[in-house]
Amino acid sequence: MIMGECQVKVYQPDTSAFKPKIAAFLCNWCSYAGADLAGVGRIQYPATIRTIRVPCSGRINPLYILKAMANGADGVLISGCHPGDCHYISGNYVARRKFALIQSLLKHVGLEDDRVSYSWVSAAEGGRFAEVVKGVTERVTALGPNKGVFKVDDGGAAGE
Amino acid sequence: MNNIINDIRETARQLLADGKVDVVIGYEKGSLPLKATPCFVRSAQEVDRLIWDETCENNLASFVANTPGKKAIIAKGCDSRSLVVLIQENQLLRDDVYIIGVSCPGVVNKRKIEAEIGEILEATIAEGTISVKGMEGSKEYSFADVKDATCQTCRYPNPVIEDIHMGVTIEVSQSTPFADVIEMENKPDSERQAYFNQQMSKCIRCYACRNACPMCYCPECFVDCNSPKWLTGGVNRAENLMFQAGRVLHLAGRCVDCGACARACPQDVDIRAMNRKSAKDVLVMYHHEAGISETIKPALNEFSADDPEAFLVKE
Amino acid sequence: MKISKEKFGQSFDALAAEYKTIAPVSDAAGVVNYEAVESFSEVKQNYLNSKLPPKSFFFPQHEKLLSYVKEGKDVTVKNELKVEKTILFGVRPCDAKAFLLLDTVFKNDMFTDPYYFERRDNTVVIGVACNKIAPTCFCSSMGFSPASSAGADIFLIDLGDSYQVEILTEKGKALAAVFPELVELTVEDQTLVDTIKSAQTTSQVDVSTITSKLEKFFDHSYWDTLQEKCIGCNSCTFSCPTCHCFDISEEVRNNKGSRVRTWDGCMAPLFTLHASGHNPRDKKKSRWRQRMMHKFNYFVHNSGDISCVGCGRCIKSCPVNLDIRQVIDGVNKAELVVN
Repeated sequence: MIMGECQVKVYQPDTSAFKPKIAAFLCNWCSYAGADLAGVGRIQYPATIRTIRVPCSGRINPLYILKAMANGADGVLISGCHPGDCHYISGNYVARRKFALIQSLLKHVGLEDDRVSYSWVSAAEGGRFAEVVKGVTERVTALGPNKGVFKVDDGGAAGE
Repeated sequence: MNNIINDIRETARQLLADGKVDVVIGYEKGSLPLKATPCFVRSAQEVDRLIWDETCENNLASFVANTPGKKAIIAKGCDSRSLVVLIQENQLLRDDVYIIGVSCPGVVNKRKIEAEIGEILEATIAEGTISVKGMEGSKEYSFADVKDATCQTCRYPNPVIEDIHMGVTIEVSQSTPFADVIEMENKPDSERQAYFNQQMSKCIRCYACRNACPMCYCPECFVDCNSPKWLTGGVNRAENLMFQAGRVLHLAGRCVDCGACARACPQDVDIRAMNRKSAKDVLVMYHHEAGISETIKPALNEFSADDPEAFLVKE
Repeated sequence: MKISKEKFGQSFDALAAEYKTIAPVSDAAGVVNYEAVESFSEVKQNYLNSKLPPKSFFFPQHEKLLSYVKEGKDVTVKNELKVEKTILFGVRPCDAKAFLLLDTVFKNDMFTDPYYFERRDNTVVIGVACNKIAPTCFCSSMGFSPASSAGADIFLIDLGDSYQVEILTEKGKALAAVFPELVELTVEDQTLVDTIKSAQTTSQVDVSTITSKLEKFFDHSYWDTLQEKCIGCNSCTFSCPTCHCFDISEEVRNNKGSRVRTWDGCMAPLFTLHASGHNPRDKKKSRWRQRMMHKFNYFVHNSGDISCVGCGRCIKSCPVNLDIRQVIDGVNKAELVVN
């Protein structure tokens, strides 16, 4: 059989549909490993996230979230170890207080609830990681593209 | 009021004459009606420059860390809370500062008066009444009606930390804390978004808010940082919001709600609306208020195993 | 010669179809600023002055100068200057005078800033004399008055229901062609014009010797204490009609980028920070000295005039009430120590 006769149907995604770009900040020790496990286990999840590995969810500066939104990300996913499981003992406890305040403030100034999502995913939860990404992708897709509460066009050069 | 100023001057005179402090940071009469201006008194002969009244609106705590030597500071309730946070954060040695505590009846909102009667030509304050002659007419105001928004919701008019107290203590009104924030929260998302959009589009990024804030002492503010470049320098609504939101999050659990930022803003942006939201969250979620005690750890330096997790993504 | 406000309004509305028209507008809180308007009915009457100066229409706070795209080895550069024919209505004498000062900054014998001058040359400035003078105004001390027409192409004096009209430049003449026949002033009008023209600001400062005094003032101890209460924000420089310092930066993302110009101000330490980390003006003292020296000495050497028009905006916007009039007085009174 020559290649041209190959009957395998190549999956062609519908490129016209909105596919969100989601910046995912994952902690090195749990959530990143969870994402890895999902990959090793060939568990499918939407290719919407752009992973940024951070040492600990406690390392996540609120500005990371704001800057991701400013740069036009359609969503942000933040994930760390489950409380009690932090590699650095208390990093995610400290982060938890911070995240609660960030989420509340962003909602207050008018950012949609589901734009920024937070979760705890352990290194063993490959399947759950895929589920979290699916859920987040669905909700961000439903919201549509970044509507620009923080979005700065053209790296800030466009003005308004 | 007059007794208080005499006491303040006398205390300042003694401190300077005895060499206990190098400088007294207080207020003197400003060049504009209803406006006091910060002053630095370095000799006992100069203490008569000091004044104390409802126009003393600046938070002097923002000068303390940058003023060398031993210093005395005139502190209102909110200023004293700022000092507590600065001491907790090791920006200030308690022994280097002598706190002249003054119970504060609130400061006057000059802009509210000017919106009504034009620029102020002359003004006098006596017994809770402010008589003002403006370009568009004269009017007598009851102080309570033209009190600054911060002072209307103030719950700590009496200094929480001090070395000497001036005047009587003021009773705290027991109204619902954060009623204004709750009202805002109950509005639909779109309305809040529109409100903040409108406020942020007024901002000219002069950074008066940041610089007037005693808690904003970072040697390099994130807005000035160029690697990474958080902000482009573009002055538009979205970037202005990012600046303000970033600032609020840096101040979470540290902001003492003195209102210095909002009063400093030449564009009258409602900066407090965001800071107070964060202060309310800290109180509701972590039962903490910034700067009310030297011994209680700041909210974000602490955690508990059962902190609320309502922010987690729904699964 | 005068024109009734009704007729002037009709001409203004007719011009609005052809020109971008900018005029003072009051917001809900009563704050007046210059904004684009469609009709004369939107224009705020009897305003004192705008909160922010109109310089931003020639020199915006944040402006894209050019943009570029790199594709393979090709680089495409695009000029981002956009100019519209504009009428800037209602400029007060202080701000009109400030335009003349800014002109000297953006043009010298070697170079003309096209971004500033393309806008400037395509704009007709209609000045309006001040009927009311704020307590913070001190233009009379700066060599002109609340009814000076310098810097305007057409200058109006508000006479209640009409304007006295002075056409000062060719640009003004071209625009005034659409005005209906002007009528003679009545005797009462003339009296009112004379009153407005002879008005002086109540607040005065003496700047007669400041330029020469500052020559020997650089190391004076006056600067040590003057700036103590300054918090180092830029509300004075941003609200100043003559401050013109800017920063140019490249905003680049992937293969695209643009060159932008943004207002900067001498009160911030970052303004003079070198890449090496060295900062020649690292203290508030040197920054305040720079502000005063630039306005009252260096600018005089460069352009022949003091770079302060006495509008009083910095006085009103300063969070700590550091009043430039008092600073000028302080310099005047300070004793020069001869080494």
